[in-house]
Amino acid sequence: MDTGQIISGTGHLALIGWALFGGSFQSAPEPFEVIQATTVSESEFAAIMDRAETPEAVANVDTPEPPAEGQTAPQVTPEAETAPEAAPPRVEESTPPEGVEGAPPSMQVPSEDMAVMVPEVSPRPQPRPAPRVAPEAAPEPEPDTRVDDVTQPEVTPDEGAETAEEPSEATAPEEAAREIVTEAEETDAPAQAAPPASVRPRTRPDRPDPPQEAPTATAEAPSEPEPEPAPEPEPEPEPPQPASDRAAIDDALAAALGEAQQGTERPSGPPLTGGERDALRVAVQRCWNVGSLSSEALRTTVEVAVSMTREGRPDIGSIRLVGSSGGSDAAAKQAYEAARRAIIRCGTDGFDLPVEKYDQWREIEMTFNPESMRIR
Amino acid sequence: MMRTMISLLAVLTLWALPALAQDSGPLRIEITEGVIEPMPYAVPDFVAESGAERDMARNLSRVIAADLSGTGLFREIPQDAHISRITSFQSPVQYADWRAVNAQALITGTVRFDGSDRMVVQFRIHDVFAGQELGDGLQFVGTRDGWRRIAHKVADVVYSRITGEDGYFDSRVVFVAESGPKDDRAKRLAIMDYDGANLRYLTDSSNIVLAPRFSATGDRVLYTSYEMGFPRIYVLDVANVGRRVLPTLDGTMSFAPRFAPDGRTVAYSLSQGGNTDLYRMNIDGGQSTRLTSAPSIETAPSYSPDGRRIVFESDRSGTPQLYIMPAGGGEATRISFGQGRYGTPVWSPRGDLIAFTKQSGGRFHIGVMRTDGSEERLLTASFLDEGPTWAPNGRVIMFTRESRGAQGQSRIYSVDISGRNLKQVETPGGASDPSWGPLQQ
Repeated sequence: MDTGQIISGTGHLALIGWALFGGSFQSAPEPFEVIQATTVSESEFAAIMDRAETPEAVANVDTPEPPAEGQTAPQVTPEAETAPEAAPPRVEESTPPEGVEGAPPSMQVPSEDMAVMVPEVSPRPQPRPAPRVAPEAAPEPEPDTRVDDVTQPEVTPDEGAETAEEPSEATAPEEAAREIVTEAEETDAPAQAAPPASVRPRTRPDRPDPPQEAPTATAEAPSEPEPEPAPEPEPEPEPPQPASDRAAIDDALAAALGEAQQGTERPSGPPLTGGERDALRVAVQRCWNVGSLSSEALRTTVEVAVSMTREGRPDIGSIRLVGSSGGSDAAAKQAYEAARRAIIRCGTDGFDLPVEKYDQWREIEMTFNPESMRIR
Repeated sequence: MMRTMISLLAVLTLWALPALAQDSGPLRIEITEGVIEPMPYAVPDFVAESGAERDMARNLSRVIAADLSGTGLFREIPQDAHISRITSFQSPVQYADWRAVNAQALITGTVRFDGSDRMVVQFRIHDVFAGQELGDGLQFVGTRDGWRRIAHKVADVVYSRITGEDGYFDSRVVFVAESGPKDDRAKRLAIMDYDGANLRYLTDSSNIVLAPRFSATGDRVLYTSYEMGFPRIYVLDVANVGRRVLPTLDGTMSFAPRFAPDGRTVAYSLSQGGNTDLYRMNIDGGQSTRLTSAPSIETAPSYSPDGRRIVFESDRSGTPQLYIMPAGGGEATRISFGQGRYGTPVWSPRGDLIAFTKQSGGRFHIGVMRTDGSEERLLTASFLDEGPTWAPNGRVIMFTRESRGAQGQSRIYSVDISGRNLKQVETPGGASDPSWGPLQQ
């Protein structure tokens, strides 16, 4: 038995002894409450109850006796329950204003057909069937309002103003509904004060794709969820070779990265942010009109590739169908043509894309999936 | 130690490879939400040389525009908004001018009178934003009297090229034309173009006529008439208006006929001794075969497009509901289970949907459901809607809408199967019981 074990054994014994006899495992007694009680005979209890039911006149008592211990508090009817006598409201006979004569007009009983036209209750406004169905509903714009994506009031130059404001006409988005409202649905909703059901909240949009950065080994290593592989066992430890290690690291990196970069030219520059991708998506879907597509074309998903100019405009000649699923070739052709129109129409003035990231969006592949746009 | 680091680095770098590989290549985005709105298009007057040809060219372009805009899927850019004129059919189109007025499709054409009565119409469809033609140019030759049909055919081609499904403009509707008050209403069979033009009466109003039904080829019409004092089924030749009564048993009433797709077989209801069942008859031989034999009322049969099944109405469950059975009779499967009473089912020409009349909550609806009864959708609601009939492409439904009151009239309405574009079809007076024929050959 070596010294270490002796020291360890002694230490442990001392600790156990202190725990047992030092009072650590003894709890202090809980404090208890002492309540004094007295015995009440049956006759006394009856007398107490009697007093509780028929209290003596309050006027005879100046200071109430403190209740004996255990005595039940008498029930007292609150005086406030007695309603005060309401003062009769003053009624003044109104006199008709001058110039008004005769009996009040009597309401004519409407004929049957008229009665039908008068609603018994004021109906709540119903969703209007707008001719345009878009992801976001928009009210009917005021007349003389230019259709635009943003809503802004008309600005007219004020002659007296110190700073001249650029005049601009009022703009508002085109009237749109979120879904097709049929006549049956339009009038099905009963006219009542409260809606029978609330609209189901929209599902949260998918989390945007993480930016496709070229991850470096050091940056990603901490978040690596998988267990790190154990280093290969080395049967024979070799002496350190500082000079060749740096070369080995470089070789390993070059070998790994070289494979990734082989063949295709990787876009340079920072990747598009989620917001920039969303902006492009919204810009295209604003022009993607599926209203004139056949039912079969509405079941067809098409992938369309397009080359972009540095100004953010699509190169019309480069737009091509690279894949389709869900429909015949004819349906894919119709769906592709609608997609092509969307890209060209909304790209005429150039999509709002960061020019410093041109390499990232020089080539774009858009998947047009009409699943959520079908007639339901 | 250093070797361990090297190995670790190599492993981590290899792990990062897929991410690097993803980063290469084009930017990928998915578009899942678009808009549903009428497509703007322009149809300038077709190019013509003489004055008479120019008048005809204008008429043609107006009918084409009415057809396309009438679908609710297209919106015409008014001619006074055009900033470019088409003066030559052969010259290249200045697409920028049409893009400037936001026309997505452009229809150009030319009209030329050829000989005494013939005319030649050539046309092209352009995808303005793509700056190219949609398909090849086409030519129709016909008589001048038939100019509306030529215009409808042009519109059908445009509709088909853009939407990908057949059009329905060059088609006709047979219906019951009504006049007089509700309690003394005169009824006669009439036929018209789908848009109400070229109205022609097929019978006089001396007898009550009901429920005309086109054959699949559109050359004959079945209908029910009280000419003999009780309902009997007649078949009428549309071309020469010749008609004949179909044979039936004495002491029975036959009604609600409908052609099978083969054009030789007719399914109909026969009422005998207070019981109504479905029968089918060979229209040439006259032999009838009983299809149902239940104590309940079975009526309103309608064939599937392949002719193998029949959807019909029956109150065997206590209330009128829709059932499907084999065309030769046999076990029927109930397909309607919603609240209310279902009737007058009609199978879509595409075969995927069944249109019906539904009475529920004191109102009448026209609705559609899948052939298994799922996905029921009500498209209309009014005091009285009934009797749906399908456009030849299965995209639009016509039906009868009757207004309330003693002075109420029946009118024909149409609605897209999405429930949009509900509108009245122009008829000179009251009209009911439409039957939409096929595209004309």
